[in-house]
Amino acid sequence: MGKQMTEMLKGTLEGIVLAILSGRSAYGYEITAWLRDQGFTDIAEGTIYALLVRIEQRGLVDVEKVPSEKGPPRKVYSLNAQGREYLEEFWRTWSFLAERLEQLRKGGQ
Amino acid sequence: MAAGSNEPKSRYLQYLEIVTGSLEEKKRWRQYKARIKQLPENYRTAVEALERYLMHFGPADGTGAMAMYGDLADLFEQSAADGTPIRDIFGEDPVEFVETFMANYPLGQYRARERNRFTSAIARAAGENTARKDRTD
Repeated sequence: MGKQMTEMLKGTLEGIVLAILSGRSAYGYEITAWLRDQGFTDIAEGTIYALLVRIEQRGLVDVEKVPSEKGPPRKVYSLNAQGREYLEEFWRTWSFLAERLEQLRKGGQ
Repeated sequence: MAAGSNEPKSRYLQYLEIVTGSLEEKKRWRQYKARIKQLPENYRTAVEALERYLMHFGPADGTGAMAMYGDLADLFEQSAADGTPIRDIFGEDPVEFVETFMANYPLGQYRARERNRFTSAIARAAGENTARKDRTD
């Protein structure tokens, strides 16, 4: 994964994480594992954790602490109503951007 | 959280904290340090390097900073329990990670002051009428 990919992901990773959580609730490491499976191999666990802290602070997810056999209790994240609203806005912004870029590529204005 | 931490502080405690800084924050800092001490050595080394960076560029103190160190300890305890390799936590560019992480917490006083000063200097240069906030902050 190149530098360009890293730069582009910076602005979209939050939306990607919310989109993953819109399907089902998940632990932090499940999100990272899913992203790796999809070819986003360079994403740091820490970066995903930082994003989860952020979306939790902003009240976009509900968090449940589940006891674990090894180590501290794990946090399960699920998208709440506010998160769904935010995700819809993300997709609208994304569509706008994608359309404009496609136009640019075709050489139109 | 310890029982009774929401009770109003005694006058003695109020005066004492003027001299010493918040005792609650000191306690949370000690708790954080104790958690880090329990980590396997390579995780501890990594956290201490991160801590040094945060001391320079992150929020210096206050509740926001203590929340940040608490979240940091959560991450590394979890990673140590899972055996997540250090490189997988930090990625190829550790600075990228620490900056993303730090952005979740209030700015340090120094950075906040300079940002305000810069913003209002540009507003003045642009001929906009602004209160000279940078002098009073």
